[in-house]
Order: sequence, then C-alpha cells, then structure tokens
Amino acid sequence: MDQRIYLLECKIFFRNKTLLTGILILLISGFAGLYFGKNFIERQKEVIRKAEKLQTENTARNIKYFGKELGLVLYHTKFSMASEPRNWAAFSNGQRDINPYLIGVTTLGLEGQLYDTDLNNPTTLLLGNMDLAFVFIFIFPLIIIAFTYNLLSGEQESGIWGLLRSQSATPLKILWRKFAIRMAAIYLTALVLMAAAGVYLRLAADLRLLTVIVVLSLYLLFWFALSFWVISRGKSSSVNAVTLISCWVVLNILAPALVNVWLTRKYPVPEALETVVMQREGYHEKWDMDKRVALNSFYRHYPQFKKYPFPEELAFSWYWYFAMQQNGDDQAAPGARSMQHKLTQRNDFTNAVAFILPGIQTQLTLNGIAGSDLQQHLDFQQALRNYHEQLRLYFYPAIFQDQPAKSIDWSQFKLKHYYEDGSGAIWQSILSLVVFTSLLSGMAIYNFRKKMY
Amino acid sequence: MKTILLIAGSTWKASFRNKATLALTLILGLALCLATYIGWQNFNIQNGQRLKYKQIVRQQWLAKPDKHPHRMAHYGYLAFRDKHELSFFDFGIESFAGVSIFLEAHKQNTVNFSEAGFSNGMLRFGEMSVAMVLQLLVPLLIFFLGYNSISAERENGTLKILLCQGVSWRALLTGKIAGIIAVSFTLFIPVILLTIFMWAMLSHWQVTADAAIRLLLLVLAYAVYFIICAGIAVVVSAVHKTSRAALTTLLACWVFFTIVMPRITQAIGVKVYPSPSKIEFAAAVESDLHQQGDSHNPDDPHYAKFRADVLKQYGVNDVKDLPFNYGGYVMAEGERISADIYTRHQKALTKTFEQQNSFQVAAGYLNPFLAIKNLSMALTASDFNTFADFQDQAEVYRYGLAQRMNKLQKEKISNTPPGEKDKPLTISRAHWAEQADFKYVFKPVSQVISHHISTIVSLLCWLMVLLGCLLLSSKWVKTL
Repeated sequence: MDQRIYLLECKIFFRNKTLLTGILILLISGFAGLYFGKNFIERQKEVIRKAEKLQTENTARNIKYFGKELGLVLYHTKFSMASEPRNWAAFSNGQRDINPYLIGVTTLGLEGQLYDTDLNNPTTLLLGNMDLAFVFIFIFPLIIIAFTYNLLSGEQESGIWGLLRSQSATPLKILWRKFAIRMAAIYLTALVLMAAAGVYLRLAADLRLLTVIVVLSLYLLFWFALSFWVISRGKSSSVNAVTLISCWVVLNILAPALVNVWLTRKYPVPEALETVVMQREGYHEKWDMDKRVALNSFYRHYPQFKKYPFPEELAFSWYWYFAMQQNGDDQAAPGARSMQHKLTQRNDFTNAVAFILPGIQTQLTLNGIAGSDLQQHLDFQQALRNYHEQLRLYFYPAIFQDQPAKSIDWSQFKLKHYYEDGSGAIWQSILSLVVFTSLLSGMAIYNFRKKMY
Repeated sequence: MKTILLIAGSTWKASFRNKATLALTLILGLALCLATYIGWQNFNIQNGQRLKYKQIVRQQWLAKPDKHPHRMAHYGYLAFRDKHELSFFDFGIESFAGVSIFLEAHKQNTVNFSEAGFSNGMLRFGEMSVAMVLQLLVPLLIFFLGYNSISAERENGTLKILLCQGVSWRALLTGKIAGIIAVSFTLFIPVILLTIFMWAMLSHWQVTADAAIRLLLLVLAYAVYFIICAGIAVVVSAVHKTSRAALTTLLACWVFFTIVMPRITQAIGVKVYPSPSKIEFAAAVESDLHQQGDSHNPDDPHYAKFRADVLKQYGVNDVKDLPFNYGGYVMAEGERISADIYTRHQKALTKTFEQQNSFQVAAGYLNPFLAIKNLSMALTASDFNTFADFQDQAEVYRYGLAQRMNKLQKEKISNTPPGEKDKPLTISRAHWAEQADFKYVFKPVSQVISHHISTIVSLLCWLMVLLGCLLLSSKWVKTL
C-alpha cells in the first residue's frame, strides 16, 4: 500500500514541469561547474609544467651570459615554487585565482618578491569562479526552496488540504511523503553530480570524499529543515516564498557581506604597505652607508658567515650586495610577521563566525579540503620562505668565496613542487550544520504538532 | 493621466499598508544607511593608508643623499592606486585589484596587495556597498511589491471591474509601475541626498564638474534601472494567471540574472579568450627582447651596431673616448626597447581582459543587472578600465623616471669608470626633486561615457522595450 502511494507520488512529481526544470537546472549548472572548475585547474597545471621548462632554460641562459660572476647569475636567476592543485581544487576553486600558485624568487631579498601577484583580470575575480561548490552552495538551496515552499500552502490554497485532513488520520504523513520525494530527487541529483565529479576530476575514494559527501548532505539537509520550518508556520505560498528567498539572501549574501565589513575594520592590514616600504628602504639605504653597517647587521643574523673574509677595499662586491639585500628582509620582518599574524587572526575570526552561517561554513570546509583557502596560501608562503632560506644558506658561502658558476650543480635547482595536506575545520562544520538542522526540524515538528492536534 | 495617478497613488498606499513591505523597506533603508557608512569608512581607511605611505615614499625619495643616478633608478618609486571620491558608493573591483606597485628601472612589477588576497573567501559572497544594495536587493523588493500587482486583481475579480469602468490596460500598467517606482524612490531619493553629501564631504567640499556629471549620470542610470525592474515586475504579473506563478517567475529571473548569469558569462569569456599567466607573459616579452636586442647578451647584434653607430658619429674608436657617459646612453636604449616591448604586450593583455569582459557587457542587453553593474563601476571609477589606466600611467611614470636617471647619468657622470677601489661617482641630490611625485589622473567622464556607450544603450533598450510593452499592452495582455 505504502509503496504504491510512493509510486503515485513519484508519478505526480515527474508530471510536474517545475520540478523537472529544477532538476535540469541543477544538472546543467552542475556539469558546467565541473567543466569550468576543471578547466581552471588544468590551466594552472599547464602553467606549472611550462614554468618547469622555462626555469631550466632561463638558468642555463643566465649561466651562459653571466657565468663569470656567480653573484650576477644569482641576481638574474629565479627559483620557482608551485603550489600543486589537488584534484579537489577543481571541485572548489576557492582563492586559488586570487592568490598566486606559482612564485618565482631570486636569492635576493624575499619580502620584495613574495607578494607579487599573477596577472589577473580583476573583473573575473570579482564575479567569481563557476565551480561545482558554487552550484552546491548557492543554487541547490534555491531549487530546494522552489520545490518545497508551497507544499502545505499549495494544498491549502487549492482546498485539497481540508479534504485530506478530514479523510486521513495522518495528514502529516501525506505531507511528509511529498517532502521525502523531493528530498530524494535532490539527493539523487546531488549523487549524480558527485559521481560525475568523482570520475571527471579523478577524486580518490578516501576520507576527503566521505567528508565532502557528509558536509554537503548536511548542508542540503539544513536547507530542507529551514524550508520545512517555514512551511510549518502555515502561511500562504507567497509569504513562504518571500521568507525563504529572504533567508537565502541574508544567509548567503547579506550576512557574509556584513561580517566581511566587520572583519576588515577589526583587522585592517596596513602592514602590507609598511612591509614594502620597509624592505625597500632597509636595503637601499645601505648603499649610502658605511659597508660595515650592512655587514654587522648581516652577521647578527648569520654569525656563521663571519668566517668568510670581506673585501673591504672594493667599492662594490657581491658579498656586500647580498648582505644589503638580506638587510631589507630583516627590516621588513616585523611588518611581515605582523601581517601574517593579522591574516591568521582574520582566518580564525571567519572560522568562528562561520559557525552561524552555513553557506560560508560549507564553502570554507570545501576550500579547506580542496586546499584552496587562505590558510593553504599562508602555508605555501611559509614553505617558500623555508626554501628561500635553504637557497641562501647554500649560495652565500659560494658567493662570499667568489666561486665560479660552473662549480655549482645547477641541476638540483628545478622547480619545486609544494603539496599541501591540511583539511580545515571539518568537525566544526559538521557540528554547526547538525545543530541548526536539528533546531529547525524540531521547531517545524513542534509547529505541525500544534496545528494537527 | 488622472487615472494613472490614481492607480499609482493607491498602489503606493497599499504597499505601505502591507506590514511585510513596510518591514522590508525599513530593513533595506537601514541596509542602505549602513552601506553608506561602510563605504565612507572604507574610503577613509583605505585612502588614509595609501596617502600616508605615499607621503612617506615621497619624503624618502627627496631625502636620499648624493647618489649615482642609476642607483636612484633602482631605488625607484612606490605608487599607490588612488581611490575616486565616488568609489565609496560602488566598490566594484576595488577589493580585487592590487593597491601598490613598485616602479624601478628595467623591470615592470605587478600591482600587489589586494584586499581579496587578505580574505579567506568571505569576500566572494559579496561586498556591502550602496551599489550592491541598489543593484541586488532593491530589485528584489520591487519584485516582492509588484508580483501580485495585476495578478491579484485578476484573482480577486477586480480586474474585470477596473477594465469595465473604462480604465485602459495602458493606464492600469503605467499606474501600477508608477506606484511601485514611487515606493522604490522613497528609498532611493534619501540615498541620493546622502550620497551627494558624502561625496561633497569626501572631496573636502571642493567638488569638480567632472565628478558632478558622474554622479548625475549615476543617479539617472539607477533611476532607469528601477523603472526597468518595476516594469518587469508588473508585466510578469500581468501575463501570469496566479500571483504565485508570477512570483516564482520573478524570483527565478532574479536568481538567474544576478547570481548565475554573471559568473557563467565571465567563465565563458575567460574560456574563449584565454589570458597568459605571468610566466608566459614574461617569457613572451623576453623572447621578443632577444630578437630585437638584448643588452645583457654581450654578442647582441643590435647593440654591436648601436655601438658602431655612435662611435662613427663622434669619430672615436672606443666608447671611453665619447664626450658623455656611454653606460647611461646604452641603458637609455635598453630601457626604450624593453619598455616598448613590454607596453606592447601589456596592451595586448589589457585587450584580452577587455575581450573577456566584453561577454558580460554584451550580456547587458539580456540582463539589466549586468548593464547597471558595469555602468555603475565605470562612473564611480572602480572598474577594470580605471585599473588598467592606472597601470598605464604608472608605467609611463616608471619609464620617465628611469630615462631621467639615464639622462642624468649620461650627462653628469664621467665617462671614465672609477677604479675598483675608488669611491663611486655621484651627482647632487638636488636632482631628485626634479622628479615630480606620481599623481594618478582619472579619465574624464566624457571618455568613460564613450567607452561604455554600449552599456548605456543596453539600458535604454530595456527602457524602450518596456515602453513598447506598455503602449501595445492591450494587444498582448489577456484579461481572463
């Protein structure tokens, strides 16, 4: 009996053009999101491959032209590091368009090079990427709203509800059945898209996949619960639609925009400009000072290099030059540290606020899993700092002893790949979504109970 | 005419009698006040930071001691992107574009430190500005107000009565639209006044005609936009049998026009016109440089000829015998060639970006939201073109600085290089003040308009279509 009714409901569902259109919109935009998301990441991978080749060529040319002076070779030679995108990055492009994923630095001062951006079209950055995460976070809720807003009110308005109530002992069950069919349809669509993503983006069947599925399922469930609560209030279809759309606007546009304003006011980053000014001054002023000033400051940072004799009598030496460059970094260091600290604070603040904003929460979780969030970029910068330090420690003695470029084994300096392995605050996300979903469902069930009996 | 006013008046009254509308209007009004305050704060904070460091950079530049001019060319300059006074109204790409650029000899750097780079993604959900509220949320309010304007009359059976009483379809639709416009203008007019006040304050009460025209056009553009939105709402309501269906259609349109379509059109634009990454760009510049003349290559044919030519011209055998500093002379040539090549590539890149953006400019004919978005950004100087123009002006300044230093080196520095152990040659620091401070000049509004003529036309097209709909209304609307 029950099965037959469900079958009937299914039939009604598929007869309904609005519902089919909704599913179709989800599938089309989902596949578009997959395509553009993957396209975006493939392009980054291609650029990294090209950079690998270019670095070898450029280094060889620099050695050919300037081989006599190692200092001059290093002045020109860039050592690149690439933040390799995970397959998941195609699912959620996150901040990978804004933050550079490939940074080439010379062994000169790092602070003047670390923040160079890629060549971006700011309009594209403003409008944002079209990826599957966008479809899940923005479009799925809208379709959920479209599917459910008139479930009860529609029946009421057409006069069927009264009939049902008088004839059936459990009118709520009928409502629930309709709701369940719509949930099944949405989840099935989500499953199809996830399966497509799994194949198309070659996602491994691991804990990450499971986490994403859990988080997204909960996110969709949250919207069902919200919708369920709104319809349980028993208002008219139009009021429900207006309420739900307003909820969507507040949760996914207005509240994030406000939080963002709060964030930028609470943690402004003037340190960014300060770092640049300090780095430039810290290095350049040394040209007009006694060489010892730069050198002493350099030795304070690297006492181990005191043992290399300094050619004091020369007007210019690469020894002096690299020491001056290093001075710039030391001078900029407090600003740079404070900037990093600010960014970490911003990150923490957003994560905390996200607890009450499911859209942001889910986006942050997806970005974390995809390795495309701010934290990942900060880690990448740190990795580059470490790599740069390694290069310094390796090359300084060679420069200070005026070794020829030939004495260096350049083949060891290929483009460096960086693989990040964090995954963000998953438990917070799950907890937040579960809390709000249960709260809303509880309120909805209470409303229904009150009305029915 | 009287009927139209009557209908408009009653629509206006009915709207405010509805508690939900009143609440929404109030919320939006608050949001607008908040957005104005935020925009003002944002302008002050951002501009304050930039001005502060701009002054520091200038002071440091002037305070440099006697130096070799080439050292000064490498010391270079830091330029900060100026904010237009009107950018408090619309943030546009402001947060997504860099703020500072280091200008030095032989090297073109990127504009760094965008606010977006300091964000962990929340910025992508949208930014709170007056323009955002007006573009995104006010239309939503208009749709909420207008979805049942005709369909409710139809459902109640009052539509037939109205039409029987001799009210024409044209008058009915016009009256309803006018009523809704009036409601949206109760929000909009205070915003205009507030904006004018803020703008005057941010310009320190010294307003320019250019900015005034920008603001006037901005107000007109938004007024047209609201009229279009109100028109869409009423027309959609007129063609639907039930209010519910009209509301569904309007909301679907809103979501598609404001959320989905902008991303998709831009994604398509990027796909059709791919732009090079930085390393590809640099590699292309370098490869051109190798072909045309590479000052780093000791065996470069261009520079061999360049040298032979100058030796011949002065009738000497060695560059050491030239009456000026040969190093400065060669560097000027190198700077000329490399800047030339770079500018060519940069122009091509800007063109590619414009082509990418052209998709959504064209989409303005289908989507009034995109049209107003583009126009609003352009008029408040927070659009891509202003950013590209800043980059161009910064490059011109960089080139001027480098060449000035090369000229100083050529003329003031001895052509006999000092020995390895001698003191380096310098020139007087009095020359540093000759290099004026970097000052970004915004494009005049006439250029902005001529560049965005297509966007303006697209908004006017929408207005025309709407008027057409009204004039021919009796032909297409069904009473029952």
